[in-house]
Order: sequence, then structure tokens, then C-alpha cells
Amino acid sequence: MTHKTKLTVLTLCAALFMAGPAMAKPGTADKGKEIYNKRCTWCHGDEGAGDGAAMDRLNPPPRDFTSGNYKIKTSSFDEMTPSDDDVFRMIRDGMPGTAMPSWKELLSEQDMWDLVAYVKSFAGFDKPPAKAVDYGTQIASSAESIEKGKQLFEDGDRCVECHGKTGKGSAIKRLKGDAGERTWPRNLTKPWTFRGSNDPKDIFTRISTGIPGTEMPSFADPSSKKKLSVEERWHVANYVASLAKTDKAVNAENTVVKADMVEGELPATPDDERWEASTPTTFILVPQIIGEERFFRPSNDTITVRAMYNDKNVAMLLEWDDRTKSIPGDGDAEKLADAPIAEDGVAVQLPVVIPREMQKPYFGMGDAANPVNIWHWKSGSAGAPETTSLLSSKGFKEIEKRNAADVGLMSKASYDNGTWKVVMTRPLTTSAADKDIQFVEGKFIPVAFAAWDGSNFSEKGSKHTMTTWYWMLLKPATGSRPLVTALVIALLFLGGLLWWARSAGQATAAGNKY
Amino acid sequence: MNMTKKRLIPRLLQMALVVVAVYFTFILVFDVLLGQLIPKSLLTMYMVFVIAGVVMVFTFTEQGAQELAGPIKALVEDPSRKMVRNVVFVIVPLLAGYYTYSSMLPSFEAPVELRTIHPAPPNKFKAYGKSFNLTTLENPYRKFEKEDPVKFKELVKEGGNVYIQNCQYCHGDRLDGKGPYASGLNPTPLNFQDVGTIAQLQESFLFWRISTGGPGLPAEAAPWISSMPVWQNFLTEDEIWKVILFLYDYTGRRPRSWANE
Repeated sequence: MTHKTKLTVLTLCAALFMAGPAMAKPGTADKGKEIYNKRCTWCHGDEGAGDGAAMDRLNPPPRDFTSGNYKIKTSSFDEMTPSDDDVFRMIRDGMPGTAMPSWKELLSEQDMWDLVAYVKSFAGFDKPPAKAVDYGTQIASSAESIEKGKQLFEDGDRCVECHGKTGKGSAIKRLKGDAGERTWPRNLTKPWTFRGSNDPKDIFTRISTGIPGTEMPSFADPSSKKKLSVEERWHVANYVASLAKTDKAVNAENTVVKADMVEGELPATPDDERWEASTPTTFILVPQIIGEERFFRPSNDTITVRAMYNDKNVAMLLEWDDRTKSIPGDGDAEKLADAPIAEDGVAVQLPVVIPREMQKPYFGMGDAANPVNIWHWKSGSAGAPETTSLLSSKGFKEIEKRNAADVGLMSKASYDNGTWKVVMTRPLTTSAADKDIQFVEGKFIPVAFAAWDGSNFSEKGSKHTMTTWYWMLLKPATGSRPLVTALVIALLFLGGLLWWARSAGQATAAGNKY
Repeated sequence: MNMTKKRLIPRLLQMALVVVAVYFTFILVFDVLLGQLIPKSLLTMYMVFVIAGVVMVFTFTEQGAQELAGPIKALVEDPSRKMVRNVVFVIVPLLAGYYTYSSMLPSFEAPVELRTIHPAPPNKFKAYGKSFNLTTLENPYRKFEKEDPVKFKELVKEGGNVYIQNCQYCHGDRLDGKGPYASGLNPTPLNFQDVGTIAQLQESFLFWRISTGGPGLPAEAAPWISSMPVWQNFLTEDEIWKVILFLYDYTGRRPRSWANE
């Protein structure tokens, strides 16, 4: 390729690259206002101050456009104004992990550009930003780059100060947003919750320009003690992208907790290595909004479950990310919590009778005809150890608290760097079949979960996150039966075919004789 | 003596092709075009019927049956095809064995649950401590749409505020059933933008569904898994009627009514 053709190709590529949103017609603020009043005002408010009717029931709260702080922007750190593309992109793609949806299915491109024009007017932005983030030359991810990124991430507590060594954003200090709201450092192991995507280029942008309106600073700012060069920022971006823990991603097709049969003792602790061999299943936790008192601002988002059983017991390992270890009475924990602090907790819900048909107990703590068992673990307080209780429930109002030890229900917990792990164990059968579930292998057993983060708006009692019914299956040990049966069937087929061929051969021979 | 004329595609292959084509049509229509995955067990049942039907058609006449069986008989009886026969005699038992083996391994596919999405409404239902007659129940605010459009607009706005504080978590800002928590629910929340939902219903039906929620559903609609709250516990009658105005206004759909039928 000659130099000239190379240049032509590059120019063409650049032209193609710049096409896209930037080519669209500029929007009209007046038209944008009309769309805004129909679609956006509910959360962001009539005057764009983030004070719509939904304000107090969203976490994070809706953006206040009058503040001029745009969290996800590509303009330089010393530049408040976002580019039109930045605003357009948030409208078009939405923000994962928040109530802001993607509007591209309901609004036309032009509608969205009109909105951009109107939304920008709330902060009086009338000129495009003078400077954009300087990307230099992107450094592709490699083991070497990730290693360098890790060093920079940890050096002088640069990122670790808030995100922690594991990147899970477990609480080290209280952070605040520009509206005075509590904010949390992003859990970098869950990239599907990144507001502005987990593409290394997006991560680079966040590191470079910071997240306005939060305590996430710019690492491109030369006056910062923690500043990083363009090259170093690419390494950190590659490292952050490498932190993803995909076993904690929800797979909508996977709705069954699969318990393997094991020989010998079940793992009694959450950190037993044998759990690694067990298949994890992750479920979405949603806030409890069906019964009084409702709860709208959750912090726990998913729960990952593993299970095993032997000839006597069944054990479940419940694992969920919770940035705060909430221990009432513990000074450090109370400092980090939204007062008043409550205990952390987790619960498993199972029907007392495994349904034979499709009908199950009501998913919210059962109903009069179909009671449920609830195994409830609580983290304990400074003066009291963790507890495990057993509830028999026939709905929100008919709950009988029972002694867990009587049926052999036990739990063991560990907390490490923003993750709780709790193992719950119970004998497969109990002496009270009318009150307790009797586990049977090979049957699909409805199961549901709940979790409490006691540091988050005092989650307690009915204020918690939960799942709807999913399934649990004690996988029957198959042994050699399928293999033996398969061999017998194959031999029968072979015998039949040979017999057919033989008798057909005889008939032909006989036919030839006459 | 071969009485039949030479065919481009032998009858046996034709039959196999028809069955395969039907199978892939099912997949294409349901899984790809409609986006409604058919459960494996249901598809197996359909295919059993299809195969039975195809075999019946292909063996309807004596001659057809013979032509179909011809190649198979020849394979076994014709000494010149010994090589092919040996191969088939190895493959068929192996396939049978493999099928047996895999079907005996335990399955971890969740059971299929079928439920009615729009159950038949009762004539009467109880909410707010009184009885409502669904056949005569009307939205008391609907009349302002014509009589007092300014007031109507205010009512819609009030309904929107109730919606955003209570309903958007599941049904979404866009009213498309894809709210922030929708993916954690099964069954998934109703999509009001869809032409098959509120546009097919009367406002009284919506009032019944909203006020009594999941637990108010009849048994065929699996009330035990519906996450729809019992809204009479949280909202007033007025608020529910206003939310209903908002649902129709935002989506641009019209409620059905006796007058229009």
C-alpha cells in the first residue's frame, strides 16, 4: 500500500467514525420541551431540577439538570459542559443499574436531539465544550498491561482508597453526591452495572474526566497527587475491565439451583474449597414493594446460590455483595451506615409441601392453604452473636417463630471485602412433616430468597430485597444405570437387525430355490 | 419389477425432508419470528403428531407404502449392498444406545408452567370493603375528556405521578413492561404499549386487576406467582382511576367500552 492510499483509507475510516450521532440535525429546544413534559418530567421535574414525583423513591435519585453536573461525559475534566453526543447517548442507551431507561424504542433520533437541546438549556449550556478527553493511542488489553494497571490501581491507595483492593467498592468511607445523597463507589467486579458501559474506552473516559457530581475525581488533572499519564490510564482501564466476575452475572435461562450429591460430609464453612466445584446460579434481588412497609431504595442487587447434599443433610451456600458489614453497636459499622443501623441478613423460603401440580404457595411468605418455611440468618450485633431462626409462615400476618436447632437447621457465615457468604444446613427430613419441608431428590422444589442490608436506609423486617419463586433440584446420583441400559438397548437393536437380515437372506435363498 | 416411475427425490428422502422442514418451520416461526421459545417437551409432542401424520400420508396407498419400504428392504436383502448394510448396522444400535443414555440422565430444565394472562373477569368482585359490578363499572373521570379537557389533563398528570411512584419499578417509565426490576419477576410485568393488552380491555377490567392484584386472580392465572401488589392496600379508588387515565393517555390507546362494541 502506498503512502497516499493509506492516507485515503485512513481519512475514509475517520469520516465513517465521525458519522453517527454527530451527523444528525441539531435539535430544537421548543420541540424538546414538549417531549420532555410528556416523558421526562415524572422523574427529572418540570424545571429539570431532578425533583419529579419519583424523586424520593429512586436510588440513585434522578439527575438535577440545573446543577450542570453530567456524570457520563467525554469533555475534558476542567470543562463542565458535556458534548451533545454525551447527552444524546444517555437518552438513547439509558443508564444500567438506575431507573433511566433507553428511549430509542419510543423516540425517534430527531426527538432525542430535540431533548438534548432542551435538557442542556436547564444549565444554560449554549456552547459546545472547548476540550475533549485526550485518548492518545489506545493500548490493547494484555496480561502485561493488566499487571501494570493493577500496580497503578493500588499504588498510594490511588483507586483502592474507595473501590477497595478487590474493586468491589466495599465501604471504607462515606461518599456523597452533589444533591447530598449517599453514593457508593462502583463495584468494579459487576461491569453490567456501569452507568456508561464497561468498554475499556468508556472506563478510560471515566478515569480521565472523573464523574462530576460525585467524589470520583479526574486522574488526568495535572494538579492531582494521583494523576496518571494517558498510557497509565489505559493500563488502569484494562485492569478494571479484567475485574469482571461473570459467575455473578444473571443468566435468565438458568432458574434452577442444582444440588450435587456428595459422598461423606458436606462442607460446613462458606470458604470450603469444595464449593468451587458446585454450579452457581445467580438471581436478581428486587425490593419488597408488595406488602407494608414497602421498600424502594435497595442496595443488594443479586444473590448467588450453590447447593450440595449427602444421605443425611442438604447445604446451601448463599453469596451476595454487600458493601457494609452491618453490626449494630459497632462504632465503625455505625459510622458507615445510614442511621439507625440494623443487622444484615439473608433468608431462604421453601414450601412445606413440595407441590405436585403447578400450584405453589404465594411467593410472599405463603398463604393460608400453602404454608412455607423460612430460614432466616442475621449477622448479630456487637453484643450478640449471629442468629439463625426458622419461621413457619402462612402469609405476612401469620408467622410462627420456631427454634431452628430443634430441626437441626444451622448456619455459618463469613464476610470478606464486601461479600457475605452464608452456609445453611438442614437434615433432609425432620420429624414434623406437617410443618417442615421434607427434601426429596429428583424433584423440582420451589425456592425463593431475601436479603437485608442493615446499613442501607435501615433495611429491617419487611424492608428488604427478595426474589420470586425459582427452583432447587437435588440431582439424583445416576450411577451406572444409564450406561448399562444404553448398552442393553444397543445390543437388542443389533440383534434385531441381524436377525432380520438373516431371515431375509434365508427367504431370498429359499426364493431362489424355487 | 419396478412399477413406479423414477422420482427425482426418493419417497423415503421426501418423507424425511418434510419432517425436517416442519421442525425448522416451528423453530423459525416461534423462536425467531415471534420470539416465543417453544418448550422442548411441547415441541417433542408436536413432532410426534407431525411424524404420525406424515407416515399416514406417505403410506396411504399400498403402492406408496411399498415404495417407501423398498429402499429399506433392499438394504437388508440385496447382497450387493453389504457394505452399506454393515455401516447402518453399526450406526443404528449406537444411535439407539446414545439416545437411551442421554434420556436417562436427569434433566435440569425447569418445569414448564402455563398460565392464563387475561383471565375471564368475574361479574362481581370485592375491594375497599364493598362489592363492584364489573359489567356496569365505569371510570368516573372519563367523562372529563370531552366535558373539561383542562381538568382532564390535570387528572392525567395526577395519575402519572401515582404511576411513577408506584408502578414504574416493574412496568417501566416507558410503560413497556421493562421497568428496572422487571427482569427479576416471573411472570414478567405487562407491556401497556402492546396492542394486545390495555387496548383490548375495558377500564373496569383494569380497575379489578389493579385493586385486587395478583392474589385476586382466579386460579388459572396462577395468583401465587404474580408479583402484582394488592393496590387497594396502598392507593385510593380515585388514584387507581387516575392511573388508568394515564395508562391510556401515555400510550395513545383507547379503552374498550360497551358503547363502542
